[in-house]
Amino acid sequence: MNTLLVSPSPHLHTKTSTASLMRDVVIALLPAVLVSVLFYGWSELLVLGVSVASCVLLEYLITKFLLKAPCTVGDWSAVITGILLALNLPASTPWWVVFVGAVVAIGVAKMTFGGLGQNLFNPAIAGRVFLLISFPTYMTDWTRTKGFISSSLDAFSGATPLGLVKEGGVAATESMDYLNMLFLNIGGSAGELSAIALTLGFIYLLVRRVIKPWITLSILGTVAVFSAICWGINPEQFTDPVFNLLTGGVLLGSMFMATDYVTSPMSNLGGVIFGVGIGLLTMLIRYFGAYPEGMSFAILIMNSTVPLINKFCHGKKYGR
Amino acid sequence: MKTTFSIGGIHPNDSKISKDCKIEVLPLPEVVYVSMAQHLGAPATPVVKPGDTVKTGQVIAEPAGFISAFVHSPVTGTVKSVGPRKDLAGNNVTHVEISVEPDQWAEGIDTSDTLVVEIPQDNKFILDRIKACGVVGLGGATFPTHVKLCPPPGKKADCLILNGAECEPYLTSDYRIMLERSKEIIVGAAIMKQVLGGCRTVIGIEENKPEAIKVMSESLAELQKTAKGFDGIQVMSLKKKYPQGGEKQLIDAVMKRQVKSMGLPIDVGAVVQNVATSLAVYEAVQKNKPLITNVMTITGDCLPMERQHNYLFRIGMPLSYIAQVAGGVPESAAKIVSGGPMMGKAISNMDACTVKGSSSLLYFTDEQTRRKEASACIRCGKCADACPMGLEPFLLNKYARNGMMEELEENAIQDCIECGCCLYSCPANIPLLDVIRIAKGDVIRIIRGRAAAAKK
Amino acid sequence: MTQTIIWTIAIITILGAVLAVVLFLVAKKFKVEEDPRIDQVEKVLPGANCGGCGQAGCHAFAQHCVESPDLGACFCPVGGNDVMQKVADVLGLKVEAKDPMVAVVRCNGTCENRPRTSEYGGYASCRVKASLYSGDTGCSFGCLGCGDCVSACSFGALSMDPQTGLPVVDQDKCTACGACVKACPKNVIELRKKGRKDMRVFVSCINKDKGAVARKACKAACIGCGKCAKVCPFEAITVENNLAYIDFNKCKLCKKCVAECPTGAIHAVNFPVIPPKPAAPAPKPAVAPAAPEAPAAEPVKKEE
Repeated sequence: MNTLLVSPSPHLHTKTSTASLMRDVVIALLPAVLVSVLFYGWSELLVLGVSVASCVLLEYLITKFLLKAPCTVGDWSAVITGILLALNLPASTPWWVVFVGAVVAIGVAKMTFGGLGQNLFNPAIAGRVFLLISFPTYMTDWTRTKGFISSSLDAFSGATPLGLVKEGGVAATESMDYLNMLFLNIGGSAGELSAIALTLGFIYLLVRRVIKPWITLSILGTVAVFSAICWGINPEQFTDPVFNLLTGGVLLGSMFMATDYVTSPMSNLGGVIFGVGIGLLTMLIRYFGAYPEGMSFAILIMNSTVPLINKFCHGKKYGR
Repeated sequence: MKTTFSIGGIHPNDSKISKDCKIEVLPLPEVVYVSMAQHLGAPATPVVKPGDTVKTGQVIAEPAGFISAFVHSPVTGTVKSVGPRKDLAGNNVTHVEISVEPDQWAEGIDTSDTLVVEIPQDNKFILDRIKACGVVGLGGATFPTHVKLCPPPGKKADCLILNGAECEPYLTSDYRIMLERSKEIIVGAAIMKQVLGGCRTVIGIEENKPEAIKVMSESLAELQKTAKGFDGIQVMSLKKKYPQGGEKQLIDAVMKRQVKSMGLPIDVGAVVQNVATSLAVYEAVQKNKPLITNVMTITGDCLPMERQHNYLFRIGMPLSYIAQVAGGVPESAAKIVSGGPMMGKAISNMDACTVKGSSSLLYFTDEQTRRKEASACIRCGKCADACPMGLEPFLLNKYARNGMMEELEENAIQDCIECGCCLYSCPANIPLLDVIRIAKGDVIRIIRGRAAAAKK
Repeated sequence: MTQTIIWTIAIITILGAVLAVVLFLVAKKFKVEEDPRIDQVEKVLPGANCGGCGQAGCHAFAQHCVESPDLGACFCPVGGNDVMQKVADVLGLKVEAKDPMVAVVRCNGTCENRPRTSEYGGYASCRVKASLYSGDTGCSFGCLGCGDCVSACSFGALSMDPQTGLPVVDQDKCTACGACVKACPKNVIELRKKGRKDMRVFVSCINKDKGAVARKACKAACIGCGKCAKVCPFEAITVENNLAYIDFNKCKLCKKCVAECPTGAIHAVNFPVIPPKPAAPAPKPAVAPAAPEAPAAEPVKKEE
């Protein structure tokens, strides 16, 4: 007889692994990636390629030579960071700027904290915000690069809807067609392009039980309610809720970045508080701040409150 | 309407491969070794010595405390030795070794198959029989049944729950007895109901066993029509979710009440007994037959269909003997588990012998059961979602590794029921329960110590 | 502009002054009066906070010393006699010198001596393993090899020998704080007298099974035959529950038992290598760790 294996119970284990969860997120991002590549063409592919490759490479090099720890590239988390970072950048971003973003995302935001599971801030957003502050010109240049498909939107101004509003006031929204924005936004970073593609991915994640919907729903709900109130008070000054939900990174951020396991609260109640916070901050920045878009900053700021939220929000315990 | 417990839980594949295998009676081996630690609590004290001849069903050991139980000889034969022998986990436990001769039952035991339906009205008589026959809970904890059926003064049972959930994957022994011995089980339930003062009685069965639900319901209807004492018993269908068979979860599912931390089921008016225990109660009270047999499942994905079995075994049979009778240990088996895959114990010593609570020999292949290397916690919260007690295993794990006892107690580690849901569901393969189980023991010791100090 | 600067400076100054007063008051109100000798005692302690003395740390130990009428029940295993002398000086008390101790691993169940009978696949912790079962060998008493003692040691005196699967004590680093003794769920580790010139004789086994069972599980097990007890001229050896034990207060390091033991369960360490023949009775006691067999001639100086 063989030597018997002995271990404490349980003796069975779920098939779900860190890698399979992360892989699911990558799969969920594919529709959005596809849309952005079709729309922005080779240059978007380049941004994606550079971003993913440098994230993975950096993680490999850092674990191997700096941390001298087991390599964690196989868990797909660096791939997600790479894709999310790319989806947050204009297609025209030069490759070296993308690389700098990856360095900040993986090198600074993730690995200095101890790698996967330890980071306080969402790496992709940290990278993006760093770039936004350091290279504002590249980061707001939404020049249409040549895509694989043509659309009626080909000739567009090179500014995002939010940018237009920041400059031109609410009147600028009159020229926009919301139905069109649902499928192909009139401009913006790759990840902002198609609400439908993003939602498809989000539904996939829900069906696969990778994430729970509370954080996303509370962000979207807060954005909708807050903008509805402001818009109701003064439609001349504030944009309407539908516009706010469909533009900028609200969908991408609420579905894929705020729901990042590591940097979001563990409990459902915590998730709702976290989401409401993000929603409020986003709208405050949009309506009253200097930047046209507030999602990234809102998520970063709320990331820093997660340990506190976790300390005070716990699930319902049996018999208590 | 199907019901279930309210917090957490997981849905492992139920793998009831051996569910259609009828219960077979195992032939007797040449020698049996009867452990004195057949139950929770103090091991029994042997009352036989080498050279004594014993009959089947004769008392060979007496309880050594309030929480302890009688042990009876499972065979007829001669006592060869009384001494230490290694149990399932390789630890020394006193065993009585008996060489086996043809069966000759001790006097006063009814070995016929006739169903005795009339329920004795004398509670003391019932409890004495249950105690004298060494009946213990067969759902896993092997807690002496007569103790559980005597609620402490001032507490009253509102509901007797018969646990037929069998939520552990692979196990089919409860399922088989519900199909083959349904009436005996229901009579047993009626007896316990009588002792508890005629409270409501619910037989909870998970929906993945529709035949058991059907057979039990039919038998119940028949008994209710033909005999007295069966009113207020009902069969309840439960959703399939592990750990439904956990005492606290079952109470939540059936009664919608939750036992307070460190409390007992009787605090909320509940008494939970396994269906196999109910069968043992029937045999003890109606037949005066001591608990020396039980049903165990021999199964595993690596066994061909014809080698899957449900056996009626006697206590004291070496596991290696049973495995041999069942066709040997399969080549590809890397781990053998006694009990369910979620809460059972891995066997390190196949020379160990069956006890009252033995319920299975499960064969797992290396690929199925070997733990994968742990990686970093990604804070996905899947362990907290799975925990049926609403605890946060990731947090407890962290505190336990740092020896933070106060924080552990604040976060209710003492409520952990060790069901294994957290470790099962962790995508990073972190040995959560291994760490939590030890720390839980420490914290409970601290709490008890404090309670004892407060009394003084 | 100027006004802004003036205002700023003024506000900050006022703020600073107010806060200083608040801090002063708080400090005054919550000041804890403490015996100044506690600080003095703490200063002479090693500051390892290992808890080896039985107190929560060095400060608690200092408090304990100050509050005790005499130092009989106080001993800092890390600092040893020297430190206790200093503590006694500070407090104006007397202290008796204690024999230095060292941790001794009483198991010689190497991979070779003690074949594996199962494979442990759970969390690598002796406590977890011990709570699960008797261990992955036939011996249900011996070392489990997961190294809880190693992680418990604050002084780096313990390490696992990958070859034998057993922990090894570095007697120069060991302070006899007893953390490993507490950490070992099997009670394999014992604190024994360090011995004259670090020479020690001890039974490297704690198996209480009957001889045949013990022997079957491990080639180097003590089988409780009692030969050692018979041969010992100083009545230092007792055999109880099939297990021999050498009282380190009575042992005179004659090594007769070592030669007599049929399984080699009795170890003598740090004896100078001299030709065969048991050496003449030497004075003091003891036993110990490192270098299991091979009596290395390396009289090590006492700690401190």
